[in-house]
Amino acid sequence: MLKVVKVSKEFVSGDGHVSAVDNVSFEVPDGQFVSIIGKSGSGKTTLLSLLGTLERPTKGTIEVGGRDVASLNDHSLVAYRRKKIGFVFQSYNLLPNLSALENVMLPLGFAGVPRRERKQRAQELLNEVGIKDDKQNRKPSRLSGGEQQRVAIARALANKPSLILADEPTGNLDSETGKMIFELLHNLARSENTTIVVVTHDLSIAGKTDESFRLQDGKLIAK
Amino acid sequence: MNFVTLGIRNAFRNVVRSAAIMLILGLSIGLSLVMLIAHQAVSNKISSVKDSIGNTITIAPAGFSGFSQVNNSLTTSQLAKVQALPHVTNVAETLTDRLTTIGSTSPSSFFNQSSSGSSNTSNMTSLTSPVTINTSGGGLGGGGGGRFFISGGGQLPTSFSLPISIVGTNDPTQLNGTSLTITSGQAINGTASADNAMISKSMASKNSLKVGSTFTAYSTTLTVAALFTSGTQSSDNDVIVSLPTEQSLSSQSGDVTSAIATVDSVDNLTSATSAIKNVLGSSADVTSSEEQADQTVQPLNSVKTISFYSLIGAVIAGGIIILMTMIMIVRERRREIGILKAIGASNLRVILQFMSEALTFTVLGAVIGLIIGVIGGNPVTQMLVSNSNTATTVTTTSSPSVAARFGGGGSGGGGFTRHALGLGNVGSNLHNIQADVGWSILLYGFGAAVLIAIIGSALAGWMIARVRPSEVMRSE
Repeated sequence: MLKVVKVSKEFVSGDGHVSAVDNVSFEVPDGQFVSIIGKSGSGKTTLLSLLGTLERPTKGTIEVGGRDVASLNDHSLVAYRRKKIGFVFQSYNLLPNLSALENVMLPLGFAGVPRRERKQRAQELLNEVGIKDDKQNRKPSRLSGGEQQRVAIARALANKPSLILADEPTGNLDSETGKMIFELLHNLARSENTTIVVVTHDLSIAGKTDESFRLQDGKLIAK
Repeated sequence: MNFVTLGIRNAFRNVVRSAAIMLILGLSIGLSLVMLIAHQAVSNKISSVKDSIGNTITIAPAGFSGFSQVNNSLTTSQLAKVQALPHVTNVAETLTDRLTTIGSTSPSSFFNQSSSGSSNTSNMTSLTSPVTINTSGGGLGGGGGGRFFISGGGQLPTSFSLPISIVGTNDPTQLNGTSLTITSGQAINGTASADNAMISKSMASKNSLKVGSTFTAYSTTLTVAALFTSGTQSSDNDVIVSLPTEQSLSSQSGDVTSAIATVDSVDNLTSATSAIKNVLGSSADVTSSEEQADQTVQPLNSVKTISFYSLIGAVIAGGIIILMTMIMIVRERRREIGILKAIGASNLRVILQFMSEALTFTVLGAVIGLIIGVIGGNPVTQMLVSNSNTATTVTTTSSPSVAARFGGGGSGGGGFTRHALGLGNVGSNLHNIQADVGWSILLYGFGAAVLIAIIGSALAGWMIARVRPSEVMRSE
């Protein structure tokens, strides 16, 4: 269970404090596929950063499995992110000098998984997301956008996280490929019982998720 | 993939840029290594020079020079007090004078300075110097293995013969610290007055003399008691008599122009030098071999200092190069650092990855640097030492004391000059520096490379630690 309770995030700007996320509360049961929608600047990416412990909230608590992750120290946060969170970014964010396989092996290495096991798990994941053996040793620059996003999803799944956070995962893809990626995430949520939170402004995608939250000016205005 | 492998691979992302960085680093490390080699070679030479000079103390009359030593000699009674001091095992006393060959004509510009002592017609000898001078050479002549300057230039008369040194000594087994080898005859007794002398083999050959032959000096007939060699060309021009004999012949009773005290151990050199200075007071200049060595190796100390500061400068330059490179790389890859942190890499892990990248640059730079060091170490050392010694040689050869060595007449003129030549021999060996590139140097080189990498990536590491993982989201 992901439980967000009265979370706010303020930033200091030249004119004073800006509230990017303002008193937001919601809950997501395990294995749910939910979306957060809103216009540009509504605070959805900041909220995703807070859920992924990339930022600490100014106020409020974020509980995952009954544990307040916002109160963890820096060292514990790194370990938490490594084991419990998987990120999927709009522009994929694969390391350009590593092959698809090596990109997926990277978080497994951070978690201390032995090399042979790492390779096997990465190959399985890449096969699962549809990247066949002949493309697994290619650098990201030699893969299409859709393929790169599949690799990014495989990387997010590497350490079997309980929560996957995806920021505009179809934003850089054509509608057909975007649809395939969405289906992939949906299926993973089902098969792996992983909670997936997707930030998007694509209402057609949001409509197909188990639940959808709308943000406006940092506030959660509707489900 | 571990952070070391990732760091190494990242170092080759941009091959052209990486090659340029490694080349510049290589030059910096190479310069460091060359300076290290020069520093070590010069340090070794300084040590060997100091070790070779030994445990002796030179005593000369105060303010002594080739032109101003009139009535400024030491006395045997003063030196008897020195002999009685603790740790002093021997005092070799000498009284030196110059003899002019009968019939020799000196050039007008040659030694017309106020020559010291008792230059007069009695300072004549039937001997002719075995050292020949090329009289067509203008100001500079070379012959008999020697090279001499004529003060002010000018032509040498054809009848000119080099003046001969006559040395009265109480220790005929050595001459100014150089051991003599008797090739025929018996060594004279240095403490007894007798009209006999020791001459060099070259002198004997030049004048067709042998043991038992006679020659004249100070209008007195002296018998050749022994022939000697010393291995130094300056000694070829010497006649050795006992100290009392020379004091009597030159009418300088009780006078001594120089002495060399031998101390029982190098450890006691400083204390013995102080004790001799206390005994003789202001009447003598007392210089230990340690001080002489310090003066002799002064040019090398300059090279040592220059090479040390150049070494420090080159290491700092290398550190700055890698520092700027790593700052540039970290700024370029902020997003990537954010990704690594977002997917679970700790600060330490990311820092170590970038450090291994910096280490890759510096180790490969070090390989280039080692090649430069191995090739350039010896020539650069030779050049530094050569330039340093050239300056010293010019100063030495323009000194009037060298010309005074061969000046006509003058009691006691030889002592100081002989001493100066002795140092000159040591000084000439200073050129012979061989810079060795051993394993220790190579290890130092790699050590310096690692140090440069650590220093250079320290600030980059701090910057990495400050990159927040959320930056990867902001750049979306």
